[in-house]
Amino acid sequence: MSIVNYAAREITCKIVYYGPGRSGKTTNLHYIYGQVPAERRGQMVSLATQTDRTLFFDFLPLDLGTISGFTTRFQLYTVPGQVYYATTRNLVLQGADGVVFVADSQRRQLAENIESLQDLHANLASQGVDARTVPLVLQYNKQDLPREMIMDASELDDELNFRGVPAHVGDALHGRGVFETLRGISELVLRKLTATADAGAGR
Amino acid sequence: MNAAPWLATLTALSRHRGVLGTLLVSERDGLAVESMVQIGVNAETVAALAASLHRKARLASAAAGYGGVHFVRLDAERGHVLAAGRDDLLFVVISESRANTGLLRVELIRAAAGLA
Amino acid sequence: MKAAVDAWVEEPLLRFVRDARVRLALVLEASGRVLAQHGFTRSVDVMSACALAAAIQASSAELGRQLDGAPFGSLHHDGSDRQLFLGAITTPGGLHLLLAVFDDATSIGLVRLYFGELRGRLAAAAPARVASDAVTPALDEHFERDLDLNLARLFGRL
Repeated sequence: MSIVNYAAREITCKIVYYGPGRSGKTTNLHYIYGQVPAERRGQMVSLATQTDRTLFFDFLPLDLGTISGFTTRFQLYTVPGQVYYATTRNLVLQGADGVVFVADSQRRQLAENIESLQDLHANLASQGVDARTVPLVLQYNKQDLPREMIMDASELDDELNFRGVPAHVGDALHGRGVFETLRGISELVLRKLTATADAGAGR
Repeated sequence: MNAAPWLATLTALSRHRGVLGTLLVSERDGLAVESMVQIGVNAETVAALAASLHRKARLASAAAGYGGVHFVRLDAERGHVLAAGRDDLLFVVISESRANTGLLRVELIRAAAGLA
Repeated sequence: MKAAVDAWVEEPLLRFVRDARVRLALVLEASGRVLAQHGFTRSVDVMSACALAAAIQASSAELGRQLDGAPFGSLHHDGSDRQLFLGAITTPGGLHLLLAVFDDATSIGLVRLYFGELRGRLAAAAPARVASDAVTPALDEHFERDLDLNLARLFGRL
């Protein structure tokens, strides 16, 4: 849940990058880390194995600056993708204000993508969260790979985007789509805050 | 570490008149390795504070050029805290005012020598 | 850097820091939201520490539940020149955590001793959880303009 400090006029939101193993979740954060000036981000925390596979989570705090008079900070997390890290994925997902689902565009990874998406929805349900209320953006990563190996965006939309959420093609290794994805989820998360405020005020 | 060898020492110290509790304490951690205390005495609190006291005394003595500390004694309104140790371990005795602190001092220093 | 996000935490935490002589201290909600801090200089570093502390607490609690049904209590890491203590505090507002980092100016015994006192003070001072933690800011309807501008600056696109 977004953390708001009215006295200090600060907003903190938690964004979780979800998806199957090796889909590029950590790569997204690495790219963001490399682009953002040091004074606007914290140290990137990567709890990973010796082969650089996420063990528990990656974490990157970002200072987005002032938005509508509120100092806005985003906490970006990734989850471990392998099947046997189900418990830690559930722990990391708790309290998420928005989710970026990073799909591996390789055709042979379709089943893993679907399983991971189902896992996401199951975890949200186990936490009592209606998945339809959680801001979600899809990133179809690895679109730089040879055409014969990957599914294009429309194919992936057919298979994965049953909610019709914003989707971005990406090549996180080279930074393509990373900014757009982050911008997309940021807007959805902040818009949800505004919508809730409007509802609360009876507007 | 096996604290059994020190139980006899703690037991002997506990038998002195006016003694409310005896402890073997790690100075670095402020934790009791072993303790024998009467009901109403919080061994954890005594261990933490006695260790801190001994450490400060040790550092002050070293800073003043007086070398190591043999024995520390705190006289309070209603009793005493006595400590003697070697390396990281301390024997600590807390007692009522009526206790024979001179005798306890001798026994504590002897016990501390046995920590080598 | 400001010591306390929530005022009711500030005085108990400062007293704990003074008595226990710790170098760094954080009080946070179990979700990772910081309530007060001492010794940090950057808010992004506070966020990282809170995320890690919350993760440690969450995973050790889960491990305890899986082993015998009960979450573990406090945690102590002994390092070569610094030590870490993580303790849980139950208040009317829910579960909170203390993260303290200390060196040989104090001891784990003293930290635990004064943590016990801190726990009591926070439990007494904490407000009950207000349902309108969900009260949200009235972001300007044109917030996208600020968002776009700030993100562009972050990514060096301006």
